[in-house]
Amino acid sequence: MKPAAFEYQRVTTVAEAVKLLRDAPDAKVIAGGQSLVPLMNFRLTRPSLLVDVNGIKALQHVVWDGTYLRIGSLVRHQQIADHAEIQKHFPVLAVAARHIGHWAIRNRGTIGGSLAHADPASEWPAATVALQAEIDVEGPQGIRTVPASEFFQGYYSTVLQPDELVVAVRIPYPKFRLGFAEIARRLGDFALAGAFVEDDGGQGFVTWFGIADKPVRVHTVLPDNMEARREAWQQALGTLAIADDSKSRRHLAVQMAERAWQHSRLEGGKYLSEEAAGGDPL
Amino acid sequence: MNSKVPLKLTVNGETFDIEVEPRWLLSDVLRHQLGLVGTHVGCEQGACGACTVLIDGKPERSCLTFAIQVEGQQITTVEGLTRGEHLTPLQESFSAHHALQCGYCTPGMLLTATALLEQEPHPTEQRVREAISGNVCRCTGYQFIVDAILAVAGDTKEDVR
Amino acid sequence: MTEQAMRPQFMGARVKRVEDPRLLTGQARYLDDIDLPGMLEIAFVRSPYPSARITGMELNAVKSAAGVRAVLTFEDCPILLWQRDSYQVGQPVLAHNEVRYVGEPVVAVVAEDRYQAEDAAELAVVHYEPLQPVLDMVQAIEELPRRVHSHASNVFYHKEYTTQGFSDAFAQAPRHLAATFRTTRQTAVTLEPRGTAAMPDPASGRMTVYASTQSPHRIRGDLAELLGWPENQVRVIVPEVGGGFGMKANTYPEDVVVVWAARHLGKPVKWVSDRTESLLTDVHARDDIHEVEVAYQDDGRIIAIRDHLMADGGAYPAYPFSGAVGETSLASRVLTGPYQIPYIETVIDCTYSNKTPLGAYRGVWGPIASFVQEGIVDRVARSLSLDPAEVRRINMIRPDQFPFRNAAGMIYDAGSYGESMEEALRLINYKDFRVRQSALRAQGRYRGIGISVFVEPTAMASSEAGSVGYESVFIRVEPTGKVTAAMGLGPTGQGHETTMAQLIADQVGVNLEDVVILHGDTDSAPFGGGTGGSRSGPIGGGAALVAGREMRQRLVKLAAHLLEAAEEDIELGHGQAWVAGVPDRAMTIRQLAEIAYTHVKRIPPGMPIGLELVARYQPEQSVSFSNGTHIAEVEVDPLTGLVQVVNYVVVNDCGRLINPLIVEGQIHGGVAQGIGSAFLESLRYGDDGQLMTTSLSDYLLPEATDVPRITIEHLVTPSAGEGGIKGMGEGSLIGAPAALVGAVSDALAPFHVMVDRLPVTPDDVIEWVTARV
Repeated sequence: MKPAAFEYQRVTTVAEAVKLLRDAPDAKVIAGGQSLVPLMNFRLTRPSLLVDVNGIKALQHVVWDGTYLRIGSLVRHQQIADHAEIQKHFPVLAVAARHIGHWAIRNRGTIGGSLAHADPASEWPAATVALQAEIDVEGPQGIRTVPASEFFQGYYSTVLQPDELVVAVRIPYPKFRLGFAEIARRLGDFALAGAFVEDDGGQGFVTWFGIADKPVRVHTVLPDNMEARREAWQQALGTLAIADDSKSRRHLAVQMAERAWQHSRLEGGKYLSEEAAGGDPL
Repeated sequence: MNSKVPLKLTVNGETFDIEVEPRWLLSDVLRHQLGLVGTHVGCEQGACGACTVLIDGKPERSCLTFAIQVEGQQITTVEGLTRGEHLTPLQESFSAHHALQCGYCTPGMLLTATALLEQEPHPTEQRVREAISGNVCRCTGYQFIVDAILAVAGDTKEDVR
Repeated sequence: MTEQAMRPQFMGARVKRVEDPRLLTGQARYLDDIDLPGMLEIAFVRSPYPSARITGMELNAVKSAAGVRAVLTFEDCPILLWQRDSYQVGQPVLAHNEVRYVGEPVVAVVAEDRYQAEDAAELAVVHYEPLQPVLDMVQAIEELPRRVHSHASNVFYHKEYTTQGFSDAFAQAPRHLAATFRTTRQTAVTLEPRGTAAMPDPASGRMTVYASTQSPHRIRGDLAELLGWPENQVRVIVPEVGGGFGMKANTYPEDVVVVWAARHLGKPVKWVSDRTESLLTDVHARDDIHEVEVAYQDDGRIIAIRDHLMADGGAYPAYPFSGAVGETSLASRVLTGPYQIPYIETVIDCTYSNKTPLGAYRGVWGPIASFVQEGIVDRVARSLSLDPAEVRRINMIRPDQFPFRNAAGMIYDAGSYGESMEEALRLINYKDFRVRQSALRAQGRYRGIGISVFVEPTAMASSEAGSVGYESVFIRVEPTGKVTAAMGLGPTGQGHETTMAQLIADQVGVNLEDVVILHGDTDSAPFGGGTGGSRSGPIGGGAALVAGREMRQRLVKLAAHLLEAAEEDIELGHGQAWVAGVPDRAMTIRQLAEIAYTHVKRIPPGMPIGLELVARYQPEQSVSFSNGTHIAEVEVDPLTGLVQVVNYVVVNDCGRLINPLIVEGQIHGGVAQGIGSAFLESLRYGDDGQLMTTSLSDYLLPEATDVPRITIEHLVTPSAGEGGIKGMGEGSLIGAPAALVGAVSDALAPFHVMVDRLPVTPDDVIEWVTARV
C-alpha cells in the first residue's frame, strides 16, 4: 500500500500555489493530508504534483473581531478545539472539533482540507453550513467568497476549481444558540449521524451530517413538546435525499437532532464540560 | 517522476542528510533509510496508531505524512525517548504494570502518552483513555496501559467516571 | 533456610517481563525490520473477483517495469497446498486457471523495493470471465448455486453424533424450544501484519526463512514438504512477532512463493502484508450457523440439545488446519459447557464458498460454543421466568462429579465451575442488581447482566498449532553457571522468555536473570509444536519443569560427590548448592559448572561431561480443562443503539499460575477482543462477493474508550499435569462474547429481545427497540 510517484513543491504564498495548480491540472493541494494520503496510499488518487501549502503563514490565523470569526484554512482541528476564544464564543465549534478523528489526526488535519474534501459524514462542512459561514477561495482571478450553503455540491464534491484553494472561513456570530450532537460507533469514527441545531424560539434550523450527500440547513418549527418536536425533526428529514436510507439511519438522525437541540439549551461553559465528561443531558 | 531529492531530516535531535523520493512516507524513511525500526507500521491509513511519532512535540501519524514535508521540524521516535542506558519513568511503568505484550503498538502508545503527560501532567483516567483512543492495542485490553500512564501521572484528579 | 530455598521463588510471582526493555526502546526486531543486502520485495496481483475463470494474462509491461526482477505465475511455481489430498482440494499458491475468492494471489511481482513492486503490479492485465459466486452456506450444502470446485462436493466435512438414548429423552421432555445462532466473519487482526522473508545461502545450499509465525517447526516441515526439499536444508527463524491469536498458525500461499522466489533468484526476498491484504487474506474465522433445538423440564433442567452446526470454510481448506472443521467439531464436543446436560445430537456440515479460507482465531470453536450454550440457558430461564443464575445452578456440574464425561464423550478434569459463578455473582453484586435494574428501567435506562460460565479445553494433543502432543526443552548450564534453554514454542506476546525462565530458575536454583530462553530458531530449538491451543503454559511449561528438574538432579549429584554428602542432603538455590544444615559446605553453581566442563576428572563416575540435556514432556491426560465465569454489565442506549460495558468481572481458574501479571494481561486482552466480537468486528461481504471491510476504518477494533476496567479473581484447581498448570490463552475470549450479548438480552428484556447473533450492531438494537415501540 504505497502511493504512486509524484512531483512535490512546497510553497510559501497562495499565489505560488495557485500558479502551480493552474499549470498542472492534475495537481493536488496537500494541507494536513489526513484524508488525502490514505487515498494516495490506496492509489485511489494519484496526483502528478503535490503542492504543499503548509508553509503559507498567511493561512494559519484565528481572528475574532466581535462580529466574525475568521479561521485560516491551515488551522488544525486540535487548534480549534483548544482555542480559548472559540471555546468562549463558538463552543459548538470547539466541541465539534473534538469529534474529528483522534488526537494525532486532529494535530495535523486542517479545517480547509476538510472543507475541500467535503466528506458528507464529516463535521466542518455541516458546521459551516449550519453557522452560515462564508468560504474564501483564491484562484488565478483572485479571491471569491462562496456561502457555505453553495460550496458543497455532493459527495466529495465542491465548487472549488482545480486551480483554486480554500484560504479562510468567515463565520458570523450566531444570533441564537447552537447545539451539536454526533453518534459514531467508536470515538473518532466518522459519524453514523450528526446534527447542528439552532433554536430561534419556537423555530430554528437543523443541519445534519452523515445523512445526505451534503449538509443542508433545514428550517423547522421547534415546539416545546418533545413529541411534537420529534414530528418536526421527521418532517425536516423528509426534505432530504437520505443516503443508504434505512429505518435506523432516520432514527439516528432524529435522535441526534433532538440531542443537539437539548445541547443548544445549555450555557456555553456547561456545554463544553458536559461534552468533555462524555455526559449527556438527556 | 520518481527521482530522488535531497532532504535534511531532524530525528531525535540528530540531523540526517538523505535522499528521498517525494512519495516516500515518513514511516518508511524512518524505518528503511534511517534504520529507526522502532516506528511500526500497522495500517498505512491512519487508523491504528502504531506509526505515531512526535512532530514538534505533537503526536502525528508517520504513515500519513511524506518525509519530504517535515524538513525543518523536530521528529521524535521511540528511539529518542531514552537517553543513555536507562528507561524513562513511563517505560519503567509500562514494564512494571505489564502494559505491553507483543510490543507492536508500544512505541506509538509511549509517544502519545509522553505528549499527553507533557501537556497535561495529571490527567484523569477518562482523559488518558481518550488520548490513547487512536492507538489500537490488540493484546492488553488497555487496562494495564492506562494504569502505567496514571502511575507516572501521580496524583490524578478525581475521575469523572 | 532449607525450606525457604525449596519453595518456588519465581513460579506464581508477579515478575516483570525480560522481553520488555527491547520492546520499550524500539530495539525489538520484527519481520519487516529484517533488511538484508540486496533484498527484494514482493507485491502480489490479487483477484478482484470472488469467482472467475482466468482467460489470459498480459505481463510484459510488468516484466519491463523499473526495478522488476521476476514476475511469477502458477506456471513458474506450480505448488498446491494440501498435496496430501486430505480434502481433494488444495489451494494453488498462485491462482491456477480460476480464482475463488477476492484477494487470492494470482501473480507475484518481485522488485527492488515495495514501491516499485506495487508500481509494476498495477501494470498487470489479467483477463477474467466472472462466474456466479457461492456465498451462502445453507445453499452451498445443497450444491447451490453451483460447486465451488467442480470435482468436489461443497460439503467437505460432514459428521454426525448422537448420545445413546437421545431420541426418547428429547421426545419425553415436557418443554422444547428452538433457536438459530449466527456468527459473522471476524479475524484476528494482529497489529503486526503477516510477513515472510527468505535468504538463500549459496555456500551451504540451505535456506533461512524468517517467518512471522506461531509454529516454527511446523512451517519448516510444511515448506520442506511443499517445495520437496530435505527438512535440514531449511532453517526457520521467527523474529519478534506482533500478535498471532491463531491466525499466524497457518502456512499461507505467500510463504511458499517467497521461499520459492528466493531460491530461484538466489537473492533474499521479503513480503510483508499491508492491512488491506491482511483483511482480505489472513484466515477468517467465526462464520457459523447453529440451528438448535432444546428439550428441558419445568424446573429449568436441560435434558437434550440437538444442533445442526454449519460453517462456511471459504474457498479452500486453510493449510494445514481448516477453521471450519476446528470451529464445528470441537464446538460439538463441548456444547454443553459446564452443564450436566445428558443428551446431545449434532450434525456438522462444513462447506466451500467463494470467500477467504477460514482458519483459527483465538478460542476457535469456543466463543461460538459458549455463545450458543449460554444463549440456550438464558432462553430456558426466560421461557420459565426463572433467574438465569438459578437455571445455571440447577444444571451445573458438581465438584463430586469430576472427572466428568459430557454428553459428547469429552472427559473434564476437576474445575471450579459453580464456585467461579458464585464468586463472580458476588463480585458484581448480583443480589442487588435486579433492584438497580428495575429502578433504572423506570427512568428509561436499560441495564443488563450477562453470565458466561465457560470451559476451556487446553493442552490438547492436537490444535491449530499442529498435532504435537508434547514439548521439548534443550537446557544447558553454561560453564559460567548461567542457564540457557531453547524451546520450539512460538510466542507472539505471551512472555515465554519470562514464564519459562521462572519455572527453570526455580528448578535449577538460580536467579531469574541468569536464565535465557531461546525460541523461534529451528537450528537451535529442539522439535516442538509451537504456540496455539493454549498449550504453551501447560505443555511447554511442563517441559521446562521437567528439563529444569533433570538438570537439578544432575547438579545435585555433582555437588553431592564434590561436597562428599548424600544426594538427599544437597540443597540448591540462589545460585548455590550446599549441604542441608551446613551452609558453609557449599559451592556455587558456577563452580560446579566449571568442573563439569573443564575439570572433568572430578565428575563422578557414570555422569556425562558437561551440563546439557534435552527433556520432553507429554501430559498423561489428552486434555485439561480450565474454567471460569465472566459477568458483564452493560447499558444499552435505545436511542442510539450503542452498548456501553459498565462493569465486568472475571473469575478464572487455570490451575496453578506461573505469573499472575501475565495471566491477567491475557484475560484483559481476551475480554477486549470479546467486546470487539460482541459489538464491533464484522467482515462483511456484499451480495456480489466483494469484501466490504478492507480497512481498519471499516473493520472496527476496540479502542481504549470501549473497554471497561475489568475485575479479576483467580481460583486454583491444579491439573494433574506437571506443575498443576492449565492453559489459559483463549478462555477470556471464549467467555466474553456470551457474557456481553447475554447482558444485552437481559437489558432489552422489556422489548422481548434475545440476541441470536454476533456481533450486535446499533442497527440491530434500533431495529429491535423500534419494532416494539
